Amino acid sequence: MEKSLFRYIWNHSKRDQLIVLAVVLGSLPFYFMSLDLPRQIVNQAIQGDAYRDGNPTAPFLHLSYDLPAWLGGSHLEIFEGFQVGRLGLLFGLSTLFLFFVIINGGFKYWINVAKGILGERMLRRMRFDLFTMVLRFTPEALRTVKSSETATIIKDEVEPIGGFIGDAFITPIFLGMQAITALVFIMIQNVLLGLIALGVIAIQFTIIPRLRRELLKLGKQRQLASRELAGRIAEVLDGIEVVHVHNSYNWERAEIGQRLFDLFTVRLKIYNRKFFVKSLNNFLAQLTPFFFYSIGGYFALRGTLDIGQLVAVIAAYRELPPPLKELIDWDQQRLDVQVKYDQVTQHFADERLGPLMLESGEVAAQDEPLVGPLVGEDIRVAGPHGDMIIEDGSFAVDLPASVALVSNGGAAASLLARIVARRSQEFSGRVRIGERDLAQLPRSVVGRRMAYAGVDPTLFPGSIRDNLIYGLRSRPLSRTEEDKRDMDKRIAEALRTGNPVESIADRWVDYESVGAKDEGDLDRILIELLDRIGMGDTIYLFGLAGRIDPDRDNTLAERVVDARHRLRETFQANGMADLVEPFDPGRYNRQASVAENLLFGVPISDEFKGRNLAENGKFRSAIDRAGLTDDLVHMGVQIAETMTEIFEGLPPGHSLFEQFSFIGAEELKDFEAILRRRGRGEGNLKGDDRTRLLALPLAYIEARHRLGLLDERMMGRIVEARGLVREVLENSASEGVEFYDPEHYCAAAPLRDNLLFGRISYQVANARLRVAEAVAAVVRELNLEEDIERIGLDYQVGTAGRLLSPQERASVSLVRCLVKRPDIFVIDGALAPFDEARSQQLVELLLGLFDQQSLFMVLPNDRQAGAFDVQLRFRDGKIVTEKTVAPAPRSSRPEPDAPQRITGEVV
Amino acid sequence: MTLEAEVQSLRQVPMFRDVDPARLKLLAFTSERVQFAGGQRFFSQGDPSDAAYVILDGRASVLLNTPGGDIQVAELGGNALVGEMGILSDTPRSATIMAAEPTTALRIDKRVFLELLAQFPQMSLAIMRELAKRLERTNAQLVAQSSS
Repeated sequence: MEKSLFRYIWNHSKRDQLIVLAVVLGSLPFYFMSLDLPRQIVNQAIQGDAYRDGNPTAPFLHLSYDLPAWLGGSHLEIFEGFQVGRLGLLFGLSTLFLFFVIINGGFKYWINVAKGILGERMLRRMRFDLFTMVLRFTPEALRTVKSSETATIIKDEVEPIGGFIGDAFITPIFLGMQAITALVFIMIQNVLLGLIALGVIAIQFTIIPRLRRELLKLGKQRQLASRELAGRIAEVLDGIEVVHVHNSYNWERAEIGQRLFDLFTVRLKIYNRKFFVKSLNNFLAQLTPFFFYSIGGYFALRGTLDIGQLVAVIAAYRELPPPLKELIDWDQQRLDVQVKYDQVTQHFADERLGPLMLESGEVAAQDEPLVGPLVGEDIRVAGPHGDMIIEDGSFAVDLPASVALVSNGGAAASLLARIVARRSQEFSGRVRIGERDLAQLPRSVVGRRMAYAGVDPTLFPGSIRDNLIYGLRSRPLSRTEEDKRDMDKRIAEALRTGNPVESIADRWVDYESVGAKDEGDLDRILIELLDRIGMGDTIYLFGLAGRIDPDRDNTLAERVVDARHRLRETFQANGMADLVEPFDPGRYNRQASVAENLLFGVPISDEFKGRNLAENGKFRSAIDRAGLTDDLVHMGVQIAETMTEIFEGLPPGHSLFEQFSFIGAEELKDFEAILRRRGRGEGNLKGDDRTRLLALPLAYIEARHRLGLLDERMMGRIVEARGLVREVLENSASEGVEFYDPEHYCAAAPLRDNLLFGRISYQVANARLRVAEAVAAVVRELNLEEDIERIGLDYQVGTAGRLLSPQERASVSLVRCLVKRPDIFVIDGALAPFDEARSQQLVELLLGLFDQQSLFMVLPNDRQAGAFDVQLRFRDGKIVTEKTVAPAPRSSRPEPDAPQRITGEVV
Repeated sequence: MTLEAEVQSLRQVPMFRDVDPARLKLLAFTSERVQFAGGQRFFSQGDPSDAAYVILDGRASVLLNTPGGDIQVAELGGNALVGEMGILSDTPRSATIMAAEPTTALRIDKRVFLELLAQFPQMSLAIMRELAKRLERTNAQLVAQSSS
């Protein structure tokens, strides 16, 4: 980026700046005329100068121009004007004044909007430029760059710079012109008054910036301090585990407290100084009118200055301080953002950035399979302390081959793996593949034909599918249809601001390159790979917990409803009918909560979920009408009594509370108080108490909690109330609850609930496992397996994949590489989360999969090395190449069976 | 059958006889009532010990796994506590328990049980007393055997 902010702005927004500037200049004559009008109104219309010679009328809108002497000095009469009386002239001139006010307002509006757009565009460009630089950080720079600080810079720190950009050139010119116009006008009226005004301005412009220099230094400090604060907060959050483990809360709190104090001190200094300068500035600005009134008034009294002139001068002066003040503010802002800009460019200094990533068209020519002899010569890698990890290392391997990099306990094997995968450029020597230098291969070829899986699998928030196909998105392949006008607008803006014109809505995934026909086919490939890597069961369970949109996927929804019926028949036929109690519109479900029995559906909006339901007005009116409220409150009283009795004495925060109690530990006291109030007579219960008590039985499940609160009669009444609840909710047109219907898919419920359409019995031993097995059998029978796993691919992995287990993260990372079908796949510690047996299995699987391509794997010891074609060992900084004498013929190598599919619990 | 009935059953178990009624209610509330079909196993010998059971209704056989097949060594009836030694000593199941007929039992989760013991010393004392009694009985039996 350019060193100077002004150069950056000028380079990228010349044209726009000039257009706005032209409009600004065009607006000046109107501005000048609006300044002169008050004088004319006072002198000519009110004081009657135009009628002094006894003329009954005077010309209004008289336009003429006297050519200068060097053009002949003739008088040019453009419009001789209307002859009007005194009153007419007054109103005419006043109207003209109003007209100019409107015109000037219009100009101002246009200019402000244009400047705003200009600023926003430049801000977009700057942010994008900075982000592009983020992608270019060298590995060395990345060791010191903090992600949160960088994010703060791109998001917050450039914001004021963006706001300033629209003002960078136009404001000083516009305000300067205004000030000069006003000053010239004063000068014309009275030279002395003009000189006084000029003198005060000169003082203002020398003193104020000097005083503000200190402010800039403080501003710089503040910027760095707040950036570091953001960085520190992110660090603590990222390392929160360590904070918990070592109980270092006090230290961290003190640390942040100290930073906040420092920040406060700096800000206080800035504050004091800023307002001191401001009040000085105001004083100086008010000094001039003092001179005008005293000296101007003196002249007026003496008769050397007419009153109209003085009024005009003072009117003109009223116009002068605002632009001056703004000019000084602008100057302050300029210095301020220049400081900010310097700080930002320092963060993205050239020496921290790698080369540009633009690649030209000849890339296609080099896009050939990475096979042939892979030769490394004179490879030298230095360790962090100057010691040599690899010294004059050489190796030669004919690709495709499977290569084991057997670690000697040091970093050498891993470093060589990174060099082969082109993840590291910090080495001397050469690695060639065929005739091509590995280091010179275009990035697109490396991205397409190589894959690297390291120790730490990085996943992005999104679905599992998004993460798996991340490596297939190197460029858009075809445009998706979008509105022509929107697209033109989007592309035009992108071009104007140096942004990419590609849309993420386009098709980016290259299906053909991975051997898929379309999206569905790709899903099939992903599922197959996940299955083989041993994550099929997990994906199946994710799928069962997932949701589908029956409007979009109608056939699947119908098939699930079919499977629901089939499952019911299976249960009936195998004597398993008591395992699942189905949702029946006419029967109470003892395995479900009272709330679920009343709603007979799944809440969509939060106001119908959990305890909110008890406060929901519509629901309350429905159970009121059904006459259930008093009974439910009574049930609430019984639950509260039992809970306060049996949980008494457990310390707050005990895990049993969370797991079993209807009442949280902190609420126990409240409910005891409610019960005491009730003890003094049922009528004493207020609406609020009743609501709290009512919330308790809503979560009550007869079969699970066994408090014996529901008898047949009460269950019957609840079932009867269902219709009423539904009617009330449907009439209120709220989309809060989706009701169960045995013949329809319920979009709000997870897939497994749709399959079961009931609740698993709490009372039957091992019910969950047996139901899971039955569900799996029906799913297999109806060929729903793949569809369910497809839904499992939609599972959200969370920030950095934290919703997955380490093994699952590693599996996703591996499949992300596998699906690319790379020519060379380098694995460096990616199997670490797996235990030895699984890891052994995976090595065999990978060797089988990479029959035709090359596989490099860093191994901690010799145990598995025998299965590879070639072993590279590291001794005293040298690389030793060993060929396995008789590796098992690759094609006949037995492939481990895919793990047994679909087990585990369903619910 | 409600929570109250379960508390009554727990009270019949010697180990819980001296425990405060409110605590027994908590124990019952945090346990699950499960039904086993005839022939269904509570657990098998060698399984990790994850729960103890109190038989509320029905009968269960205690089976030992021998080279010659499973042999029944005892039969448990109502209010019998089974599997408690495993969760206290953290060892695998020493025998198989199989329902002899449709049986209802209260399943006391190991984690919950240990947490209750940790929380209420009075409960631990009651358990210790019962264990000491058993040890005494075993000692007496040993003496009787060696003298005979």
